[in-house]
Amino acid sequence: MIGSLAYCILGTLLLGAVAQDTAPQIGVNDSLWYPYDETLLLKPLPNNDLLLSFTFQLQSEAFDPAVSSHSFDVYEYYTTFPRAIPPLLESTATRQFHLRFTRGFWDALSWGQLPHGGKQAGASGVELWSLVQAADQEQAFQNWKKLANSLSGLFCSSLNFVDESRTTFPHRSYASGSASPLFNDTENLYLMRASLPNEPICTENLTPFIKLLPTRGHSGLTSLLDGHKLFDSLWNSISLDITTVCPENGDSLCHYEMEAHIDMATHVPSALARNERPIPKPLDGSSLRCDTDKPFDSYQCFPLPDPSETHLKLSQLFAKPIKNGNLFANRPTKICADVDRSAWTAYLSVDDTMFSTHDNCFELSNDQNESGSGYDFVLESLDTTQVSPVDPVPIHVGRSLTGNGQDRGGIRTAFHNDKDTPVKLIYFESLPWFVRVYLSSLQITSTTSSQLQEDDIIIDKYYLQAADRQRPAHLEFTMIIPAHSDIVMTYQFDKALLQFAEYPPDANHGFEIDAAVITVLSPESGSPVYEMRTSTLLLSLSTPDFSMPYNVIILTSTIMGLIFGMLYNLMVKRIVTVEEADKIMLHSGLKYKLLKLKEKLLKTKQTKID
Amino acid sequence: MALLEKLHRRVVDMGLVPRVITLLPVISTLCALFGFISIAILPMDGQYRRTYISENALMPSQAYSYFRETEWNILRGYRSQIEETVNMTSTERNNLMGSWLQEFGTKTAIYENEEYGETLYGVMHAPRGDGTEAMVLAIPWFNSEKEFNVGGASLGVSLARFFSRWPVWSKNIIVVFSENPHAALRSWVEAYHTSLDLTGGSIEAAVVLDYSSEEDFFEYVEVSYDGLNGELPNLDLVNVAISIIEHEGMKVSLHGLPYDQLGDNDFFSRLKILCLGIRDWALSGVKNPHGNEAFSGWRIQSVTLKAHGNGGHDITTFGRIPEAMFRSINNLLEKFHQSFFFYLLLAPRQFVSISSYLPSAVALSVAFAMSSLNAFINNDYASISLFSEYNLVAVLVWFISMVLSFVISQLFLSVLPAGLLMTISLAICFLPIALSGKVHISEPLSYRLKNVAFLYFSLVSTSLLMINFAMALLIGTLAFPMTFIKTIAVERPSEPETGTRSNISIKTEPKDEMQLNEHYKEGTLEKSQQRQKLKNLLLLILTNPFISITVFGLLFDDEFQGFDIINKLVSAWIDLKCWSWFILCLGWLPCWLLILASSFESTSVVVKSKEKQS
Repeated sequence: MIGSLAYCILGTLLLGAVAQDTAPQIGVNDSLWYPYDETLLLKPLPNNDLLLSFTFQLQSEAFDPAVSSHSFDVYEYYTTFPRAIPPLLESTATRQFHLRFTRGFWDALSWGQLPHGGKQAGASGVELWSLVQAADQEQAFQNWKKLANSLSGLFCSSLNFVDESRTTFPHRSYASGSASPLFNDTENLYLMRASLPNEPICTENLTPFIKLLPTRGHSGLTSLLDGHKLFDSLWNSISLDITTVCPENGDSLCHYEMEAHIDMATHVPSALARNERPIPKPLDGSSLRCDTDKPFDSYQCFPLPDPSETHLKLSQLFAKPIKNGNLFANRPTKICADVDRSAWTAYLSVDDTMFSTHDNCFELSNDQNESGSGYDFVLESLDTTQVSPVDPVPIHVGRSLTGNGQDRGGIRTAFHNDKDTPVKLIYFESLPWFVRVYLSSLQITSTTSSQLQEDDIIIDKYYLQAADRQRPAHLEFTMIIPAHSDIVMTYQFDKALLQFAEYPPDANHGFEIDAAVITVLSPESGSPVYEMRTSTLLLSLSTPDFSMPYNVIILTSTIMGLIFGMLYNLMVKRIVTVEEADKIMLHSGLKYKLLKLKEKLLKTKQTKID
Repeated sequence: MALLEKLHRRVVDMGLVPRVITLLPVISTLCALFGFISIAILPMDGQYRRTYISENALMPSQAYSYFRETEWNILRGYRSQIEETVNMTSTERNNLMGSWLQEFGTKTAIYENEEYGETLYGVMHAPRGDGTEAMVLAIPWFNSEKEFNVGGASLGVSLARFFSRWPVWSKNIIVVFSENPHAALRSWVEAYHTSLDLTGGSIEAAVVLDYSSEEDFFEYVEVSYDGLNGELPNLDLVNVAISIIEHEGMKVSLHGLPYDQLGDNDFFSRLKILCLGIRDWALSGVKNPHGNEAFSGWRIQSVTLKAHGNGGHDITTFGRIPEAMFRSINNLLEKFHQSFFFYLLLAPRQFVSISSYLPSAVALSVAFAMSSLNAFINNDYASISLFSEYNLVAVLVWFISMVLSFVISQLFLSVLPAGLLMTISLAICFLPIALSGKVHISEPLSYRLKNVAFLYFSLVSTSLLMINFAMALLIGTLAFPMTFIKTIAVERPSEPETGTRSNISIKTEPKDEMQLNEHYKEGTLEKSQQRQKLKNLLLLILTNPFISITVFGLLFDDEFQGFDIINKLVSAWIDLKCWSWFILCLGWLPCWLLILASSFESTSVVVKSKEKQS
């Protein structure tokens, strides 16, 4: 403990404070405060759903990019910043990477926009993109591959399956790659992106994630994060963004910033009911909620919708209270509720005392909770239908596969803009190479206005054709969806045949196709304002019966054997006419030989007698 | 090869080849007989197998089903409301149901089809999955008997509500309320794969519910599984349904078997289910569809569950079947692929696989090939060159009959009534008799026409038997009497070059008969010829595809009256894209037309055989 303290003090003394307000300060009781920030935002959504957003922010110590970490006299030290990350960034020349683990269905129709403008939510499965500094694309890809493999180990995910056939170099999307420093002017920054849509997200991804945070699940908000509860939700997303920040004032010292988010949307009544009855068995007759306006007796009951009053404790949702404040950050742990104040009240409960604030934001201090019972957060409402207004999404996009059969198919994307203004967006799609897209079959139709031309909708097309086993098809369209319109974009593709060894385990499951990424641009500045993903798709390719090769081997071997036998026969035998054959048989057949033998025997006998 | 050589020489020595050639008609009939016998012995002990769940992930009935107790109250609550919607317009009814579904978070949409009405569907997104797969619970508002599916609809909504509380789903659940189980449901499935905006991923399996009674109790469950165009759902799904039903203590009926026959399991009961199964399989889509047919063609496995009778089991027991089935399907990581896609059920728990039943259809198509061979080599004209005018004319006639058949198939899709088709069919059967003495064809042409006809039919039935076994077997059986139609040869009108064979006035098919006939007097000859003509007429009527299928429908299925089946064949194509009509029109009809042409009176021709030329 003393050693590490000393280490930290040494660090601050040598390299100076990161920033004035986050400067570590040594308190009277030897406590040390670190640049770490955690907040939790609760937002009730319509239909008794609740959005919980955890945000964690931290910074590394400053470092001089000009000095290699391998040089002899450089110390490497980490305070709260996870130790695993900086060496990884250095060895792969990565300036920033973004990792997303997302699962579930975001109900944009009733919940509105994704949290954080959609920038922290990935497509279903794992999504990774990063900005890598390299001399050329080849080297960038090598670094990227290394990064993906390391992250695969770090997060127990299948990111090691990221290879060239899944990697795209986004052209205009993912512009969040904003300004990243270039340490070597002769090199370039490369933006690469890959996603694994069929990756199941589970606790084994969450645990290493929590371990990256300094509180490690022992205090502060991370003490709430339990895999069982987090993944028992309608939609959840874990995101991690690491960026390199260098001050622009010419200061040579840079630092890393880490931003981690965990967002989940859960249906409160069923989450609470699960505490009482882990199995959703039928209710008792007495606890049925029936519509008394309709026929109603002990035999029949027309069910009422979920009750609209709620009393929700955070400890009920997560089965445990918040253990404490975060204990060492320069800012206290913060919990906020984004609620309609006319219908909702939010309390912080400490040792059975309830506190409330005017802005529904609470800061958890480290020392007030002496008894160890932890903090609890309570949300109460008499009318849960009244929620603070949700931001409607700028555009609704639905994507589905069309057609039947094993050899061809189509993809249909429907854009629905119910706003008064046209929406400009970038449509990004990365399709695996075995989907052979015919861009010539691209069709834009509209159910609302018939005189639409393709050029009116798609104003810029970027298309990189797939190369078998080398590269996915990469589509990036800049589109304008007119106000109050439904636009449908369709195109057809052929399904390629895979080689026998290319089928994954559970080959009959089908092949997941990446979600399309839609980046909505601001009409004025053209900068991204909202990001969203469509659902992933399941493509069924013709899949062989995997016992078939053995049948084929047996059959071909038999046929080969027969053919060989016949050929051999033809080659070693003389061809004669039937008459000739009969003649020869008279002098050489088995019968003839037997006869000869008999004659011989008889002869010898005769001679003997003689 | 020495053994084969020896065998060959022995065969040649014994003169078997010509003997076999004369016996070809008998061999053909024997082949067909072998086909029938080989299928009739399948229900015997030792020929069939017990069903088993092939995909280990399914684990039917391993989890306790909870659709019971107060769920019954809720179901009754919904039912009392649904009972009042009978007289509503479909829009009102769908809007009401949609509002109920939305209450527990289902995303609903209404698919509007101008021709087939509105279909309401709702997607419940899976909390534990990536949302790329879906299971469908389909409830037609009116079932195949046009009864209001009140029990089914209340089960549908209360099950959906029940499912929404369960966190276990890894596949989306889609609830579909269509107007009827045939065209309306089919049009929704088609739209789902082409034009719907609200979708829930690729559909893995579908369960159609049919509970039309307003009663709380029912007696047994009928499972329908036949898909269109010979497609069957994976045996695993059928097994799961049957094992769950039996696990819940109910009896399973297949192919409309009544309650008192459900306990039987002997040779004849199995044979009965087998035959009914082949009938229903062949006529699937043409018969009143149960609902599961609508899902054929997109790799969706589907079954229909229909409640029958009164008393015994309560309606929630019926609801527990789809519940447990969905739990099972939900376990799947892969699409249904482990078990059989081609099978015949002999009893709910007994089946035969394709390798056991296929030989019968193969034998039938071999029988036709033998008849074709017979028409080619078993007469005086075997030595005619392959490119002779007769062969070419036969192929030309075949081509014309194909075109004609196609025109007929297209015409009846929209314009002409079934009665007219039957009248025409019957009328042209009399053409050979009516025109006897006026129209003659040459004898070799008659044989060549038969040759082409049977060869074509054999090819059709061979290519059909893998994908649609029942259809191949059915048309093979019904068309087989065609092979007994004989060529009528009359004396050639006096022409100079009759030459060597002018003494032979009348010929019937086999040579030895011909020689026999020479000994008869003119009168007997006339008489036997007349008899043969009448026999031909009868066979022609019997084997006309339209007459034959109508008679089959009337005799073996209570569903069809009059010329119903023709209309249903046509509407099956229009509504459901069921090919049966085209199989009849393009597979069978050209063959029949050729046989018709061949049965006109024919005149013998002198053939210069190769030996004579040399």
